[in-house]
Amino acid sequence: MWVVLALVPESAWSAKIGDVAEESSLGQQAFRFLSFRDPSVRYAVIGSVMLGISCGLLGCFIVVRKMALVGDTLSHAVLPGVALGFLCSGVSASGLFDWSFEVANITKNPALIFCGAVVAGVAGTFLVNTLKQTTKIKEDSALGLTLASFFAVGICLLTMIQGLETGNKSGIDKFMFGQAAAIGEDDIRLMLGVTLLIVAVVFLFYKELLVTSFDAGFARSIALPSQWIHHGLMLLVAFAVVIALQAVGVVLVSAMLITPAAAAYLLTDRMHRMLFLAVGFGVVSGVLGAFISFLKPNIPTGPCMVLGASAVFAVAFFGGPRHGVLTRWWRHVSRSKRVQRENTLKALFQVLERRDAQPEESVSLKELAERRRETLDDVSGQASALKQHGLVTLHEEGNKILFTPSGWQLACTIVRNHRLWELYLTNEANIAPDHVHDDAEQIEHVLGDDVVRELERMLDDTTRDPHGRAIPGFADIHKPFAPSAPGPSGYGRS
Amino acid sequence: MADTPATNGVNFPLEIHDLTAGYHKKPVLWGIDLQVPKGKLVGIVGPNGAGKSTLIKAIMGLVPPSSGWVKIFGKPYNENRRRVGYVPQRESVDWDFPVTVMDVVMMGRYGHVGWFKRPNKADREIARDCLDKVKMLPFAKRQISNLSGGQQQRVFLARALAQESDIYFMDEPFAGVDAATETAIIALLHELREKGKTLLVVHHDLPTARNYFDQLLLLNMRVVAYGETEEVFTYDLLQKTYGGRLTILSEVADAVGQRAK
Amino acid sequence: MSEFIPAFEWQRVMVEPWAENLSTTFWIVLMGFLITAACGLIGNYLILRRMALVGDAISHSVLPGLAIAFLLSHSLNTLPMFIGALGAGILTTVLIELIHKKTRVKQDSAIGITFSTLFAIGVILISFGQTDAVHLDAECVLYGEIAFVPLDLVQTELGPGALSVVEKIPGLNSEIFLNGNRLTIAPPSVIRMAVVTGITLLLIVVFYKELLVTSFDSGLSSSLGINSTVVHYALMAMLSVIIVSAFEAVGAILVIAMLILPGATASLLAHRLPPMFGITVVHALLSAVGGIHLATWLNCSPAGAMVVAGSVLFGLAWVFSPSQGLLRRWLGRELDELNEEELDRLAKGV
Repeated sequence: MWVVLALVPESAWSAKIGDVAEESSLGQQAFRFLSFRDPSVRYAVIGSVMLGISCGLLGCFIVVRKMALVGDTLSHAVLPGVALGFLCSGVSASGLFDWSFEVANITKNPALIFCGAVVAGVAGTFLVNTLKQTTKIKEDSALGLTLASFFAVGICLLTMIQGLETGNKSGIDKFMFGQAAAIGEDDIRLMLGVTLLIVAVVFLFYKELLVTSFDAGFARSIALPSQWIHHGLMLLVAFAVVIALQAVGVVLVSAMLITPAAAAYLLTDRMHRMLFLAVGFGVVSGVLGAFISFLKPNIPTGPCMVLGASAVFAVAFFGGPRHGVLTRWWRHVSRSKRVQRENTLKALFQVLERRDAQPEESVSLKELAERRRETLDDVSGQASALKQHGLVTLHEEGNKILFTPSGWQLACTIVRNHRLWELYLTNEANIAPDHVHDDAEQIEHVLGDDVVRELERMLDDTTRDPHGRAIPGFADIHKPFAPSAPGPSGYGRS
Repeated sequence: MADTPATNGVNFPLEIHDLTAGYHKKPVLWGIDLQVPKGKLVGIVGPNGAGKSTLIKAIMGLVPPSSGWVKIFGKPYNENRRRVGYVPQRESVDWDFPVTVMDVVMMGRYGHVGWFKRPNKADREIARDCLDKVKMLPFAKRQISNLSGGQQQRVFLARALAQESDIYFMDEPFAGVDAATETAIIALLHELREKGKTLLVVHHDLPTARNYFDQLLLLNMRVVAYGETEEVFTYDLLQKTYGGRLTILSEVADAVGQRAK
Repeated sequence: MSEFIPAFEWQRVMVEPWAENLSTTFWIVLMGFLITAACGLIGNYLILRRMALVGDAISHSVLPGLAIAFLLSHSLNTLPMFIGALGAGILTTVLIELIHKKTRVKQDSAIGITFSTLFAIGVILISFGQTDAVHLDAECVLYGEIAFVPLDLVQTELGPGALSVVEKIPGLNSEIFLNGNRLTIAPPSVIRMAVVTGITLLLIVVFYKELLVTSFDSGLSSSLGINSTVVHYALMAMLSVIIVSAFEAVGAILVIAMLILPGATASLLAHRLPPMFGITVVHALLSAVGGIHLATWLNCSPAGAMVVAGSVLFGLAWVFSPSQGLLRRWLGRELDELNEEELDRLAKGV
């Protein structure tokens, strides 16, 4: 839809982005962008979308194959190719051996630049592989070396081009940090073609890519040519890098491969969801970057896109539902609160046990505080937390504490877990009885029902723990509960 | 043995009390108690994943303990590093590293040399002697990548010797070495024991373990047995050590590890 | 093509830089040599510790540190720049650790995300401050302005007495240093780089043992009581300082080549660290001199040309290396079947 729009020339709005930028306000610029009537805006947006799709798709495989820095190397290594492609446009051949080079003929020809860049990228990966195979140089050094050497050659060529007397060199410095506004109609056609190719290949070879990424050894064993798949993937990455160059620039294009995919990787465990998410993130950060650099034309597009992607990553890093740092921190906090509650319940149980009392009897907070070796304030705080969860009731102005049936059950379960684990460590793992308590303090909160069943099956006699105390059994947990409440009334029976 | 109170470090160069340790909070070793007397050659045996290497790393503080303590000659490891020699697994270093055999052995002396100083002639002499002991002196100037597996192991041993420690921890020194090297290593270990050094050696081969070591530590996530070889090397105890992992113990360890994530 | 690649005129390319533009050439070559030497020395350790790409990351991410230091202090003074670069360098190391320890994102992606984010921030800051930031523009970020180094000389006028003394010192009595009665000391960036290179060399000599052990076997280093985390961060701090001193001259990306190329060349030719350091320094010198001639010939960026010259030297080492060289491979497998004695000699001889 957009594509069709973009290809319709619209002379009234054909001024390049930035021309009007100086005089117009931010609001006007934003309106110009959002109204979408300017072809260069359309090109920029469509370009960013293509870029987001192709980089997002391939980035996922790059990230799961741990090749992020191969992508980085590849993206720097294309620079001499870009320069050569640019130069080649000045070559005209009138016969097989009759070539001439005219500086004046040099133009920014996307197809030539594309070819040059792909050749340079492939040469770079080839160099890395050869270095690894023939010398003892390790992969990281080989990558860094290739990256910087190719880049240096590119820099030399670029500075040489800048010394030439031609009016058409303006486009090429945009390849460094990217300028989405410099995307032209030819670029868009190329991007469209390459993106379609990438989508088609990923769609058709999804299985093969997945298997070789996950387990190359297995892939070989089922006769998949993983080497060729690897090379094919690298070629596609080279394609994606090259079409992204114009918008993001040589230096930062690898970020558009890595960052959206890594953010997606934090959010899901399924490869196909990761692909969709990464494409989404890539497109969003691409368009956002194009928008911002449109508002402030002296800011290159690449860094804006990259920061957009980094922002998405930061959100996933902190707030991801499963792996996010804040989420995990929150889970940790709520877990330690639960452990705290369970420990207080356990102490309550132990006070009653020592008294040889019934679960319906109340305990004073003072007793509980002595048992926990904590201050009265701490304990009353914990008691009100327990009350909030419906595990205990408080009486006599909060000085007496009383189990509810569910509280009693939980306390029994915890104590049972603790003592079963102690029994297991002593009987089955031969650990001295005086050592098992500390471990059990941790483990009692972790044991799941199935592990407890397994422990029960394994241990012959589960009535007494290694220290001779009774392990609360089924009968204790489901004791009929008739509180002879000392407090204001028939609490507890639900 | 577990119930004897901790004594001074003179009789027991290595004391471990109720040590629980593992990676990323996931316990691999549970409630380890150990008191190793002076001048003993102790083999640590157990199945794969039993925590043999982890035990050594926990003693050396390379793996943080979640409970319990370790004492070397009656003091925490940090205060007695100088008396501890360590032979890591061979694969743990990069053998393409640009150093010669002599350089590697010299590293054993660095603990004695101290900051800002260079190793002196005496250090060099000691390093030469140590290389001679493992019969690697002719290779002193060779780059380490040109060594066979057995030779690499000998270099590591020479380096440990150069540390002139009183207690040694060795992680699988017999892994992937030729028969001649194995004999040479065991002779060297016996020689060190005669000098009153204490040696703990992780070993994976049961049949030879019986002949090589004075004492055995049977390990499988916890100490199954520890004592003189002839007492411990029984069918029952070995069955208990190698009879599969304690499935519940590893399940629960996984659960704890998951929680820490 | 002649418009693009000028003819190789011996006089113009090889002689004139030294004969006619001596003072310019000298300072550029000296600066190039100092940068490549300092980077190469510390780069040896990066390579051995498999941290070449952390060097890549830090070289990108000192940019925001520089930009912020510049925006805050409104100057390109040494101190704020060093502080900014140190902060950025340490931040990079910490962020990489944080991302790959706290999440399941692997280290390579963590490196990529960290440096691209910081670099992007740096570029945007620079674009904002472009009007007043003369020395910090996009081109400088990419390939530096080593050609401008000699434009900014610290000179002092000498009285007649001092002048006569100086004239008697053979080294100083040349057009590099003496112009009438004005004695040139050096461009400030060269002085700074010389100090940094000297300190790097000193630290490497003084802490040779500690760096060696922590790089080779971190298990042993901990049993010797050497804290490898401290060594790691110290190395990163030194790296940041070197990169920032080199930044104006060679930019953020070419410096990666200077970090890795000399060490990689040396690792192909030598089997011990001390000779490797020697080769590193020679490589630095040759690539600086080669680069200036290449740049004069092709009329391109001298910093880029120095790296290209360095890459050529690496290529030569790769072909001719006695132990891992391509030539040795091409000459056939019979070399692998040398008898033990000859292998011995080869191992020792190199």
